[in-house]
Amino acid sequence: MQIPMILTAVIGLLMIIEFFFPMPASVTSLNVTLRSFVTIISATALILGTIVLTIFHTKKVGTRGSEWYYSIVYVVAFVVTAGLGVLNVRDTTFLWIYNNMTSPIGAALYSLTAFYITSAAYRVLRARNWNAAVLLVCALVVLLMLIPIGAILFPPVVPLGEWIRSFPSGAGFRGMIIGTSLGIMGLGVRVFMGRQKEHLGIREERRDSE
Amino acid sequence: MSLMDKMLALDQRIIFALMFIALAFPILSPVILPMNIQQYSRDSFEFADSIPSGSVVLIEGGLGAATYPQGGPGLEVQIVHLLSKDIKLVFFSIGTETAAWTVTAIDNALAKLPSGVAAENGVNWVHMGYVPGGESGVAAFANDIRSVKTEDHFGTPIGQIPLMSDINKASDFAALFWWGGSEGSIPFGIRQIVTPFGVPMTGMCTTNEVPNYTPYINSGQMIGIIGGVRGSAEYEYLMGMPGLALGQAMATNFGGLLWALLVVLGNVLYFVARREGGAK
Amino acid sequence: MDSFLLGLIAGSFVSIGAYSVLIGDNPLSKFTENLYMGILGGFIFATNWNYVRTSAINPVLQGNYIFVVAVILCVMLFSRLKIEWLWLSRYPVAVTVGAGLGLAIRTSVMADFLGQINATVLPLNNINNLVMIVGTVTAAAYFIFTAQMEGPYKYVNQTGRIFLLAAFGVTYGQTVSFRFELVIGRLVDMLRPEVALYTYAMLLLVALGLGYGYYTKKIKWYSGR
Repeated sequence: MQIPMILTAVIGLLMIIEFFFPMPASVTSLNVTLRSFVTIISATALILGTIVLTIFHTKKVGTRGSEWYYSIVYVVAFVVTAGLGVLNVRDTTFLWIYNNMTSPIGAALYSLTAFYITSAAYRVLRARNWNAAVLLVCALVVLLMLIPIGAILFPPVVPLGEWIRSFPSGAGFRGMIIGTSLGIMGLGVRVFMGRQKEHLGIREERRDSE
Repeated sequence: MSLMDKMLALDQRIIFALMFIALAFPILSPVILPMNIQQYSRDSFEFADSIPSGSVVLIEGGLGAATYPQGGPGLEVQIVHLLSKDIKLVFFSIGTETAAWTVTAIDNALAKLPSGVAAENGVNWVHMGYVPGGESGVAAFANDIRSVKTEDHFGTPIGQIPLMSDINKASDFAALFWWGGSEGSIPFGIRQIVTPFGVPMTGMCTTNEVPNYTPYINSGQMIGIIGGVRGSAEYEYLMGMPGLALGQAMATNFGGLLWALLVVLGNVLYFVARREGGAK
Repeated sequence: MDSFLLGLIAGSFVSIGAYSVLIGDNPLSKFTENLYMGILGGFIFATNWNYVRTSAINPVLQGNYIFVVAVILCVMLFSRLKIEWLWLSRYPVAVTVGAGLGLAIRTSVMADFLGQINATVLPLNNINNLVMIVGTVTAAAYFIFTAQMEGPYKYVNQTGRIFLLAAFGVTYGQTVSFRFELVIGRLVDMLRPEVALYTYAMLLLVALGLGYGYYTKKIKWYSGR
């Protein structure tokens, strides 16, 4: 556990120091290599993620878990697509499957929230108190500003909406950005000092040993 | 159960069906209404327009399956805009899916180009493809392109691409256009390219993310932003090339009105019920 | 029929499958979800493998042996699959997290922290600047959770909350529009003149199939509101 913790801190500090102080060419070159390693490891992590998901579905088919037959769909789709892509990532059939099957489903699934958000707004978006009223009025004005007919029916929503978005809302988000930035720095200090170790898989190890 | 209670307990599938009709109807019977141009879109357009001919700019293509219908038409028009001004374009993407969709945008834009505009792959534009690693990947790419990319998206070795011969880091670009879609990645560009290299930047994101980035626009770290389909439609309008985005922006009319009506109705019912002592 | 039109029709069919979940969970929607996950998983696998191959394996084969370290680190990542070997995966994770945090911190200080504070130091000569200063300070102060909610801080907290709610309200309004744009983007393709007939036919088929399933109680009817 000690060595990965030290490695995290050393690499992190190398990146930070390089930015603020002039460094020998060897350090800059090492940082460039490390950053390219990070992109390669990140790509491998995504590969690992898909493998873990495939193992889960394969096990489900093997053990005849609940609704296992849907997992066959996953496994077949995965094997066919991955197989074609590994043979040639620019293969036309591979790209056709992606463009015409995954893309439309993805777009449709993401867009489902349009319906849920409307139903939820009808039921719970209420001006129960002044705080809720601020939220409701801002949402209504901005939506009317965005739809072209809103500007025709209620012309003042355009300047009002743009003002709310730029100033009161902009100020709120600026406060959040400053807070988040402090959070990133605080997290960094904790990780580099070895006070935060979750990224090293402590929880998984504990959970599996229990 | 009173009528009011019934209305408050309306089956959500009825609302879904109404919304489907409200969104599909204007697609089947389009009506084009006049539309004002938002200041953010105008700023972004004017920034792109002010880039001198012969410059090389960097474009992050972050539009995916879900977000391409909104940002794609705008990106296509911007590619036409920049290539027509003899500006060289270097594309890259931080997602696998978005790298593929960037190719679609380039192909569609090339089909719209006026005759006589040079648009040769490797000379006037190049797509460096997928760069993994999120913000770290952007930092690596910005500091040394050759350390993360050995070939472009189509498999051409970087050494054989004339456009890339003098380019290896973010400071070699005159501007950055970050078409982030819904990636939430615009701060990556500000943190890893604008701040360290001083490259001016504008961008595009989906409508929902625009408020998140207003502080960066107000502070001058970013010059305007194209917000969702409305922003794309405004870019099309400013370029004098009305297209798919304009029609889609108009199609939000009935859906938006229905949503506003339902919210108002829900509140009226709530206040009536509260006066009668029924609402919680 | 050319592959472009075939693609549009296939896209329309699978979209109907995805939208059918609005009626309630049903076999068609579950089939579509698993199909989506499978193809997307395969796509992510193949494209990332291509990146690793061209950026790590090919350089090694061409004699750039420093990338052997990257390949070893990648292999070590797979030790997460077996809990006894998990410790091995800590090394590649340490490299990624260390570099990621370092890169984020070094510019976050300038871009997000100092940059935003600089932009808030404005002359108090108009209402917009006043709103910006008061809003930023009170919104940032709202996240101080260690202070007692009493005295002047109580009012700072309440003011900050109003600005945050305005920000959430604006985001909510923009999100509603964004979600509508997503549906419209899909419907534009599904209702193209050359595809519309296929879409309507598929819609009818799905309605009949699901109707039969619900009528015969082979599919459970979701009765919540």
